[in-house]
Amino acid sequence: MADRAGHQARRLKSREALLALALACTDVAAGGLIASVRTTAGAPVEDAAIVLEPATGGPRANPRGKATIEQLDREFVPYLTIVQKGTAIDFPNRDPVKHHVYSFSPAKMFEIKLYAGKPAAPVVFDRAGEVVLGCNIHDWMAAYTLVVESPWFAKTDRNGTARIERVPPGAYRLRLWHPRQTAAVAERPLRIGADAQRLDLAIDIAPRPAVNKPPLQADRY
Amino acid sequence: MSVFRTLERRIAIVFVGLLALVMLLMLLIVARSGEDIIAAESQRQLAAGARNFSNLIDQDRRQLELAATVLASDFGFREAIATQDRGTVHSVLLNHGYRIGAKVMMVLSLDGQVIVDTQRPGQAARPFPLREMLRAGQLSGRSSGVARMKDGMLYQMVIVPILAPVRVAWVVMGFPVEDAWASEFARASGLDVSVLAVAGGIHASSLPPPLRKALEQAQLTALGEQPQQLTLDGHHYHAVALPFGPQARVLLLRSIEYSQAVFRELERVLAIIAASGVALFVLGSFGLARRIAGPVNALARAARSIEAGDYSHAVTVTAPDEIGQLAASFDSMRTGIEMREQKITRLAYEDTLTGLPNRTRLAEYLAALDPKSAAMVAILDLDRFAPINNALGHPVGDRLLQLIGARLAGLVPARGMLARLWGDEFAFVVEGSDKESARRFAAGLLTTLREPIEVGGQRLDVDGSLGIAFHPADGRNMDVLLRRAELAMYSAKRRQCGYVLAEEVGEGPAPEQLSLIGEMRQALERREFILHYQPKLALASNRIIGAESLLRWQHPVRGMMPPARFIPFAEQTGFIREITPWLLEEVAAQAAIWRKQGISLVLAANLSARDLLNPDLVARMRDLIALHELPPASLCLEITESALMEDPTLSLTHLAELAAIGLKLSIDDYGAGQASLSYLKALPVHELKIDQSFIGSLAASPKDAAIVRSTIALGHALGLTVVAEGIEGEADLAWLREAGCDIGQGYFIARPMSAEAFADWVSAATTTQA
Repeated sequence: MADRAGHQARRLKSREALLALALACTDVAAGGLIASVRTTAGAPVEDAAIVLEPATGGPRANPRGKATIEQLDREFVPYLTIVQKGTAIDFPNRDPVKHHVYSFSPAKMFEIKLYAGKPAAPVVFDRAGEVVLGCNIHDWMAAYTLVVESPWFAKTDRNGTARIERVPPGAYRLRLWHPRQTAAVAERPLRIGADAQRLDLAIDIAPRPAVNKPPLQADRY
Repeated sequence: MSVFRTLERRIAIVFVGLLALVMLLMLLIVARSGEDIIAAESQRQLAAGARNFSNLIDQDRRQLELAATVLASDFGFREAIATQDRGTVHSVLLNHGYRIGAKVMMVLSLDGQVIVDTQRPGQAARPFPLREMLRAGQLSGRSSGVARMKDGMLYQMVIVPILAPVRVAWVVMGFPVEDAWASEFARASGLDVSVLAVAGGIHASSLPPPLRKALEQAQLTALGEQPQQLTLDGHHYHAVALPFGPQARVLLLRSIEYSQAVFRELERVLAIIAASGVALFVLGSFGLARRIAGPVNALARAARSIEAGDYSHAVTVTAPDEIGQLAASFDSMRTGIEMREQKITRLAYEDTLTGLPNRTRLAEYLAALDPKSAAMVAILDLDRFAPINNALGHPVGDRLLQLIGARLAGLVPARGMLARLWGDEFAFVVEGSDKESARRFAAGLLTTLREPIEVGGQRLDVDGSLGIAFHPADGRNMDVLLRRAELAMYSAKRRQCGYVLAEEVGEGPAPEQLSLIGEMRQALERREFILHYQPKLALASNRIIGAESLLRWQHPVRGMMPPARFIPFAEQTGFIREITPWLLEEVAAQAAIWRKQGISLVLAANLSARDLLNPDLVARMRDLIALHELPPASLCLEITESALMEDPTLSLTHLAELAAIGLKLSIDDYGAGQASLSYLKALPVHELKIDQSFIGSLAASPKDAAIVRSTIALGHALGLTVVAEGIEGEADLAWLREAGCDIGQGYFIARPMSAEAFADWVSAATTTQA
């Protein structure tokens, strides 16, 4: 367990570094949002999606292109992936066993039948909506993909903090979503100025179900 | 109790009775404790069954859940659900329901709307009615329960989520609780299972229809989880009721009869064992008892026949056990008794020396004679047997008697008998004999007897005298016949004429005398005979040197009787043979007593001719002397001159033997008999007693005086002591002393007196002299 926790921690750090690099490369010099998401009880909420939709349907950035959801140690990584509509997502299998990734969500129904390694083609998510990913072989494997129109989105880290930068000033709708939210949170209007603003948000979520994952190699008997 | 009379029955009844008692007791205990055990066992089985039932229900629920979960995990099914393909979903549900026996199959939306219901295809969505169950499922991921549906039937319901991979819908499956279900659980739990609606009525039951009907009418509200008794249609059960969903209860029944059946079977087997055990015991113990009692009865029969004197039946019990040993001992006892009885009979009726019948046998023979039939009784006495016996010894004498007995036995006719009476006396009985034939028989007998006999290499001439009496002419009873024959025999002996008939010698003693014989016999037994003693005075020294014992009879009626009144008769009848031994014993004993008292006297006893001729006399005297430790010379035997002359030769022989022992011998009444001087000279005697008839007339008759004087001289010349008896006056005493007579005896000196008086008298006389 300690080993796995360490591994996850390393993974999170590399992702933040990647994000910081991406932000640094944008050419839009504008304001931003630093949101801190907590439950009503005050606990930080990880994997909450923060999306800013332009209120007037203004300029849209091009889709960023590609994303990757790995199957590692019989889990989907990352747990939550937010992509702009039209993004193609790769599902590389890093496990020694095969997986059967599927989704019955209306936003994107697909399945990649038993495969190992990298599938032949990525899956393009061309409709906005929530997509729940599962594996037909490993019942406990579950991951969420939120497909949005806007290019301005972020998900909270384990401290419940998410940053959206270089957002052009203007009127936006703020959407807060979480895969295990107990109730939908209403969108709210938000004005983005030149400076980054801080925002405290609240959402109640169900606890992540305990996964009783069998070991890869069964106990010898 | 008549049944206990025989040993056989008693053994059998005791054994069988005890076993039956034990068996009965055992059966009672089994039956008594059986009821308790049955009750406890029934309750225990019910409790176990109830636990088992709960487990089964639980297991069943999990299996149903599993079945539902498998369905919910089916990819195609999930795809159909996700794509809202209701037709496909319906079809999948039907297919699965059919596969696992579910009757209710539904899919619920996450918010609890029935989307698909196999029983109501095409119906619009409606809220799922079992809200509690759904809420429980939403909380814990799945749920199950028992519910009554609209059709009135009871279902086991499970709700499991459809995960894709997150919960997207619910699958509901319902399995009807029917009789088949109840029967299956009944089989698995070993109990009768019924499902009752709380509102009343039976949903399902494993019971057969009649009981089911009874169950419907039974009052069951009081039943709970504690076992209680319940009676249905006459059958007894232990029952518990468990809650089964909110609207139903499960009634579990354990048949008490079923538990009892095992015990009934056990009891039946025990009863069979007991009955066959008793039966076997009856056979066995009767057999055993017969084996014990049979030989015992045989022994009892044998004992009875031995009691009756029949020794001929051998006891044939061959068993090797104690009874057999007893029987063997019994049989050897039987043969032992038989042999001893034969021996006793022989001893009682047989003379041991000759093997001839004895006097007792003869008496019986005579007693058995027909009172009217004629018979001859002859007594034979051998002549001169005593000298032969003495000269050649007893063994030769005995052998002679045996040979003569054998020789005479040849003369016994078919209807007759030869017996040995005693010593050398034999008796014949010849039936149907008259005087003529008796004479012929006597003559023939004597001829046979006189043939020489060789004994121990010596030829002996034997002769005898016969006395013959006739039955019934001379007497009817044996005593009379034998006595008369004996008298005749003595007569024949005296006359030396071979044989004499009883009628020729007369009747014998008068009747008064005959009674005297009987009285004498009694007198001996009653000790009426006593001895008086008359002192003998040595004339020269004037000292008492001896005494003569004189027999007196203190007759209870006739008073003191002098010997002259009965001694001759006793001699004549032979009874003297019984008196003399007693008399000799008395004298010897008295001599010994006085000797111890310091009175040393020579005691004299008188012997008859018969006594002297008795071959046993010498031995008897020898025994007496030894017994009383007397000096032989302290006893003196006086024999009359006439007695000596009955059989001078034998008398001489016996006297010689007596003298050899050392006894003093005296010739009594000398001068009255016919002893020749030459005979007198040969006699080994020490004393002459001059007949008192001479002494009484000394003064009056000079001739007698001369005889006395010459007799004294003669006695002295022969070396004999001369005794004068019957001295009645002082003059006579003086005369005799002057004439040289050695010893005096008579009234003048002292009368005969009793032993006590004599002792006193002797002391007094001695004192006077001193």
